[in-house]
Amino acid sequence: MDTSKNSYVLAFAVGITAGVSMLLAVAANALRPTQEAAQQYDRQKNIMLAAGLLQEADPRPRKEIEEVYKTRFKEHVVDLTTGEFADAKYKPSDLGGIKDAAERARYRDVYESTDELGKTAAWVMPISGKGLWSILYGFLALDASGATVQGITFYKHGETPGLGGEVDNPKWKAMWPGKSIYDDKGEVYGVRVKKGKVDPNIAVEKRHYVDGMSGSTITGNGVTDFVKRDLKAFKLFLDRLKAKG
Amino acid sequence: MTATLDTPAQAKAKPPLFGKEEKKALIDPMWVNNPIAFQILGICSALAVTTRLDKSLVMGAGVVIVTALSNVMISLIRNFIPSKIRIIVQLVVVSGVVIAFDQVLQAYMYDLSKQLSVFVGLIITNCIVMGRLEAYAMTNPPWRSFLDGIGNGLGYAWILAIVGAIREVCGSGTLLGYQVVPQSLYAAGYVNNGLMVLAPGAFVLLGIIVWVQRAISGYSEK
Repeated sequence: MDTSKNSYVLAFAVGITAGVSMLLAVAANALRPTQEAAQQYDRQKNIMLAAGLLQEADPRPRKEIEEVYKTRFKEHVVDLTTGEFADAKYKPSDLGGIKDAAERARYRDVYESTDELGKTAAWVMPISGKGLWSILYGFLALDASGATVQGITFYKHGETPGLGGEVDNPKWKAMWPGKSIYDDKGEVYGVRVKKGKVDPNIAVEKRHYVDGMSGSTITGNGVTDFVKRDLKAFKLFLDRLKAKG
Repeated sequence: MTATLDTPAQAKAKPPLFGKEEKKALIDPMWVNNPIAFQILGICSALAVTTRLDKSLVMGAGVVIVTALSNVMISLIRNFIPSKIRIIVQLVVVSGVVIAFDQVLQAYMYDLSKQLSVFVGLIITNCIVMGRLEAYAMTNPPWRSFLDGIGNGLGYAWILAIVGAIREVCGSGTLLGYQVVPQSLYAAGYVNNGLMVLAPGAFVLLGIIVWVQRAISGYSEK
């Protein structure tokens, strides 16, 4: 067979490309449900991490963790313009699919963590924003009255490992619980990442600040900014929680 | 593998499963002809993904699978590949295998796939894979090519595993996620080595490994 003829070369190129793409299409299609389930599970795990219902590297099997999520969490959608639930209209999984940008910006997902008796234990809200290299995605958990942080976690970011990537460090995240998001006047103050260590003798720092991560001022500033921005976006909803006490 | 091998004609028609050539294909790249230590190939990914042992292991497994499978496939069609476009054809096959591997990771090892992110895709450009296809699979039968792929993949993987293990222990105090540096040591003032989680740390380690490997295997620049 003459393999250097142009017609043969062309036919071979087309043939091998079509063959490989066909195989890949089949593989991707077959794996899609498993992949989507894996992504959803990852999200659920992070919501639980923020709410403190799951430990880092939890040894429990996936089935058990999923069961805990199902029994202890309620998924809601909040209309940011009113602060009310819009659960009848959307589910959290629908939000990404909303085409109209204004409409999409109006709603946000919130996860209600409940104790064994079904009473609200925490509210977990999505947070995201720019760090140094990348957009960080995570969850912030507030207590039932929405005033105090219960936990924070990031499930996706591209910050420098060892520097900005320390947002994943359990020791750093452990500094967040107990911080207040309101100042003494009741305005949203957010939780701020200090450059350096928090001085426990200064009241405002003790109340609102966490230690900075060395070598990652810009990531820290980013976290400060978007945590505040996202809390403000939820203002009407938070007001409602505050009113309920 | 019994009486059939006695007559020379039949032996030629059906070569032994593990003859001299086969052993050479499998064992050589692990030590004497190691792709990283001897040929200095695949360095970029060796630097990038070795911050933790589990990442190194999965990356190593990925390269073993990709080199072996694409070696076999190219070897099977080696007589049909027009030599004008052989590199492109190799790339198509490698990309196919790598994308499939990435999809499987995303489905079954989501956490790790998130951390390895772009580096799984970059196996495509790993010089070891293309190098073996061009240098070996294009001229050798499938079984031997398969062994060659496994051998080169493992040669890459064991070095990655060593670098990954050292970096994780020194840089984060853990191994496969388990704390190995005792808390009492931290209390006594020990700190994790920050250099180890960054690329320069990997560079230094890799340099030392190449040096040690070459000193033992008796390599000398010609």
